[in-house]
Amino acid sequence: MSIKEKGYSHWNGEFKQGGLSWLPIVRWGIRLTFRKKFFKLLFFISLIPAIVFLVGIYISERLDDFRFMIRESTDFVQINPAYFKIYFTNDFLLFMMVMILVFCGAGLIADDLRHNALQLYFSRPLKKKDYFLGKVSVITFFLFLITLVPGIILFLMKLIFSGSFRFFASYPWLPVSIIIYSVFVTGFFSFYTLFLSSISKNRRYVAIFIFGLYIFSDILFGIFYGIFRSQYFGLLSIKSNIQQVGAAIFNQRTPYDFSWILSLAVLLLFCLLSAVVLNKRVRGVEIIK
Amino acid sequence: MDRRTKQGIMNFLQSVKLCFSFFLSLGKKSRRTKVFYVISFVPILMALAIKLAQFFYSHRDISGLAIFSNMIMVFYLQFLILILALFFGTSLCSEELEGKTLTYLTTRPVPKSAIILGKYAAYTFLTIIMTGVGLLFTFLILNLDNLLDFSLYVLFLRDLVVLWLGLICYTAFFTFIGTFLKKTILFGLLFSFGWENVIQYFPGSTQRFAIVHYLKSLLKVPTSGGFSFLLFRLEPTPPGIAVLMLLLISGIFLFLACLFFSQKEYILQD
Amino acid sequence: MTAVIETQNLSKWYGNILGLSDVSLQIERGITGILGPNGAGKSTFLKLLTGQIKPNIGRVTIKEEPIWNNYPLFQIIGFCPEQDSFYGELTGWEFLKNLLILYHLPRTEAEDKAKKAMDIVELSSDKDRVIRSYSRGMRQRLKVAQAIAHDPEILILDEPLNGLDPLGRRKIIKLIKSYEQEGRTVIVSSHVLPEIEAMTQTIILIHQGKVFAQGNIHYIRDLIESHPHIVSIKCNDPRTLAKKFIHQDFVLKVHFGETLDSLLVETNNRDRFFALVPSLVVEHQIEVKEITSPDDNLQAVFDYLVGK
Repeated sequence: MSIKEKGYSHWNGEFKQGGLSWLPIVRWGIRLTFRKKFFKLLFFISLIPAIVFLVGIYISERLDDFRFMIRESTDFVQINPAYFKIYFTNDFLLFMMVMILVFCGAGLIADDLRHNALQLYFSRPLKKKDYFLGKVSVITFFLFLITLVPGIILFLMKLIFSGSFRFFASYPWLPVSIIIYSVFVTGFFSFYTLFLSSISKNRRYVAIFIFGLYIFSDILFGIFYGIFRSQYFGLLSIKSNIQQVGAAIFNQRTPYDFSWILSLAVLLLFCLLSAVVLNKRVRGVEIIK
Repeated sequence: MDRRTKQGIMNFLQSVKLCFSFFLSLGKKSRRTKVFYVISFVPILMALAIKLAQFFYSHRDISGLAIFSNMIMVFYLQFLILILALFFGTSLCSEELEGKTLTYLTTRPVPKSAIILGKYAAYTFLTIIMTGVGLLFTFLILNLDNLLDFSLYVLFLRDLVVLWLGLICYTAFFTFIGTFLKKTILFGLLFSFGWENVIQYFPGSTQRFAIVHYLKSLLKVPTSGGFSFLLFRLEPTPPGIAVLMLLLISGIFLFLACLFFSQKEYILQD
Repeated sequence: MTAVIETQNLSKWYGNILGLSDVSLQIERGITGILGPNGAGKSTFLKLLTGQIKPNIGRVTIKEEPIWNNYPLFQIIGFCPEQDSFYGELTGWEFLKNLLILYHLPRTEAEDKAKKAMDIVELSSDKDRVIRSYSRGMRQRLKVAQAIAHDPEILILDEPLNGLDPLGRRKIIKLIKSYEQEGRTVIVSSHVLPEIEAMTQTIILIHQGKVFAQGNIHYIRDLIESHPHIVSIKCNDPRTLAKKFIHQDFVLKVHFGETLDSLLVETNNRDRFFALVPSLVVEHQIEVKEITSPDDNLQAVFDYLVGK
């Protein structure tokens, strides 16, 4: 009497990996973030600078209509790369980016560590790079929505409101700067957030670290600058370094009297350190000593 | 006070003491505590860096005491004690719920309010040690030139006590928040870096709605450096009243935390 | 005999979801088993008994005192929760010892009791390891240890045998039975009937938040025995088997499956039925491909009992 199988058929195909195995991680990360009540409010608040700057672009094309408001000086509605630099590097937008990271990024790896989900991930045809790509994509999605997307929209709306391509002809590199800056700031904050998310299993602690480290670096700068009056201490502040590099990307005068390359080096060093720690922390097996 | 009431109070205090011992031993072993010890020693590194910079670049415009006072105002008052209190205060209840270990505590013969008070006392004790040790070494390093000036130690003790009062008060507040709110971190960050940072600069009695107002009323005015903005529009409350208010605020929030924790039903998610 | 634990019209809702409905019970000394499928309300009931949650309606009393916020009662109650959670950074020894200190015991006495409890659950050799490194079975034994360490008069155990190997299960069952001999009160919940059977004769059946049977296990067993079981047999000659089964008094119904090579038999005596099948198969040289029991689960038993 032969033993018959119940109906399972053996896999006769090739063992190959799908190209977008990280995509479900992105989808779920975005869905889970949007499920949080306060996140939607926070997200809309973070769009306020984009709306304000859009209004500014509109006013710049209708100066005569708003003469009663502006009176004499029209400098503040000069639409040029400096205008875009101010939008992208303003304190409020950077602060809101950090707040968004607290919501969407704090639990990205921390929750997986807490619930031992890494074993579930890596027992599937998913490599570590796919895992990180998925997690980074969640952060990229949200940060691009308040950097790249509004930036491109502001640029396009300027062209539309002005009714000509003169603005583009004057600054053809501006869209490239917008893209480069968005990628740069998103990349840095991705490393920043994932690094902090990987060092604890509790998303609450990670949320405090994400916020606290950002504020602390600025306080550190403030203390040393207050004592020594040297702008080089700006290298200690995450915000100052981002603003320094941002100004360089938009071909503007940097806010501090030191080379923007130093700021870039500091941020890249942080990213490198984060990558090393991430590689060590994210693995399929937890070793308990 | 009759004998039964006295006995009840003694039993309650004994329970608080037992819970304090329990959570202190738990807290000492916790990795999180070690991380925060490291964070609270950052001012020591800052002080070392400042001292070395002053030594090598002969930058002696500001005295060690002035730098120390500025660090108290900027780093400790506006950042470190807020972060420590937020972290430990909100964790009091949340970590038992998230870790589902609340059952082990509420099935012991100790009142629920003793659990809250014992854990609060243990965590506050740990944070007091953290800030105390960090502050002491920072003070010694920054005032290396004047260690024999004993009047400085009086100022140091005063600043230390003020920071400890701040820790006691903020931790009590966040403990209360942790017992009834779910989104404690968001609220805590908004309170610490939103409300406290903004309201303290409001004129008149409005600034008295910020805990930091009472703490600043107890601290000496920084004499130099770019930090005078920190006392912008401060209308200080007399020191005696400031201390009383801080203790009253702590007492009220701890009482409310105990009340909520005793009466509220916590359902652990399966 | 006065009831040690009494509940009156006990009901609990979680929002719109009914956890427990109108449960009125009196539990006396000895071991009482709470039996029910997953989601029946066993854990809800035990959480109400131990004051973890408040009832929406009704009351719970232990030794005639209400349990909610009545912490002195926990001197005589030991509770083993269902969830697998600990203070992971402590060692097993530290965990037990520190919890015992909360009973107002002197340190030496707490250490003695902790040591005794660890010996009972056979964790002494691993007492200095952090709990995070314990296996599932070790953590379960530690949970039982923290419930028994202070020698409670009343022991409430929520699925204490989860995660234990057969030897571990036997030892815990033996421990629980020794408590009955000492005159203590034990309430133990499970969804596995043989586990409860091994410990006690007195059981309470809970299903969908309601108690619908309470009493001696033999009565429940008889009900279950009389519950008709369906057995499916796939073979090359179902008709020959059907002819033989039809004559048996313990076979209630025989019909053929959708594919004509299967036979569905309804019987009210599984033991006699399965004793007959091999002899028939050998005698008539029937090639059996598959034997399954589509309704062989506690849920089906409960559905049947509810219908009865």
